[in-house]
Amino acid sequence: MGTQRITVAVDAMGGDKAPGEIVRGALDAVAQLGVDVLLVGQEDAIAPLLPDGRAPGIDIEHAGEVVAMDEDPAAAARRKKDSSLVRCAQAVREGRAQAMVGAGNTGATMAAALLRMGRVRGISRPAIAVPIPVPAGTRHQLLIDGGSTVDCTPEWLAQFARMGREYARTRLAVDEPTVGLLSNGEEPGKGDELRKRTFSLLEKVPGFHGNVEGRDLMHGTVDVVVTDGFTGNVVLKTLEGALRAAVELVFGVLDSTPEAKEAGKVVAPLLLDAAAVFDPDMTGGAVLLGVDGVCVISHGSSSARAIVNAVRVAQECVETGVVGRLKEAIDAG
Amino acid sequence: MPAETHVAQGPIGPDEVYRILRERLAEILEIDEDRIKLDSSFTADLDADSLALIELVEALEEELGERTVGFSIDDEDLGDLRTVQEAVDYVVARLGS
Repeated sequence: MGTQRITVAVDAMGGDKAPGEIVRGALDAVAQLGVDVLLVGQEDAIAPLLPDGRAPGIDIEHAGEVVAMDEDPAAAARRKKDSSLVRCAQAVREGRAQAMVGAGNTGATMAAALLRMGRVRGISRPAIAVPIPVPAGTRHQLLIDGGSTVDCTPEWLAQFARMGREYARTRLAVDEPTVGLLSNGEEPGKGDELRKRTFSLLEKVPGFHGNVEGRDLMHGTVDVVVTDGFTGNVVLKTLEGALRAAVELVFGVLDSTPEAKEAGKVVAPLLLDAAAVFDPDMTGGAVLLGVDGVCVISHGSSSARAIVNAVRVAQECVETGVVGRLKEAIDAG
Repeated sequence: MPAETHVAQGPIGPDEVYRILRERLAEILEIDEDRIKLDSSFTADLDADSLALIELVEALEEELGERTVGFSIDDEDLGDLRTVQEAVDYVVARLGS
């Protein structure tokens, strides 16, 4: 991209903390990352949050409608053409932005990106590639799909594997990423009909390790874990809940006796530092792979820090040419 | 082809609608246009799911909307369009109305 500044379109109205945290995150992203941000949303809600109603590196694009978290994704993306979400995707399509970031309705974000940006040839359905921290490892794992395409065919899962592998090359800097199919046992015959039929297709994908189980997540058994969007989303929420419970357990123990409290004064700050790796705001966002443009989906309760990190992911995807490399890899088979 | 027997009800006739629909649907489903016939069922014959049909509707609205101002397809009608023929007839009727 040379020295030209990248513009990232940010859905100012998407997410539980919109527009306040989103706008704050946009301001921080401009200051910290050297990108321009196109804030898309209701101007009368956004402008008062900017110093003097404007800020260097920030442009506002007015969009009259908002897609709610509980709206039907396809219908919202299709009918709410003046929504902040659809206008973000349109800005990428028209080249006014090189990437988009949204923390709103995940399904609608996928549908808007698909309908406005189009699909990568050879990919039937997009998938969300979610980086999963591996505490004992040197790099993240990727879980694909994190919730974009709920009902999948074996062929689509095989496409997810190829996309995840290429993305791992680019983002995790792994030359030959390994791929595992999430199932209920390691043996090839394990799983439901979808898993069994997918297994035979994945045997043709380079780097296929075989089936992996839930316990292989966060342990780096493979670089890319492939599953359908329904299972992937349940897995992510399960990890989130389990980690929260583990933290509560540890801090409960450290608060249980006078001796434990003394120990906690030393250990607690170290644990909090270490636990930062699990903070979803640090990850920022996950990339929607398979659409013909960069679309980063951030979690619904994104803070300003999450938005900065999501914009960072978007920026890196543009700079490393993620979409172009994905197209080449899929074309090459 | 049965489409030739239809009477054009607007500025764009059924043959043209069929040609555009085939072209767009083939692109979306990444299949050969020859697989798409007038009597093809979207789901049973072409494996087109609801998202693929929405992509098709968007593509048709974009292309035909440039030639016929205000052309649109009602989401509520989508469920009734089971075959290519039904879709062509529907679009032609909308163009002529």
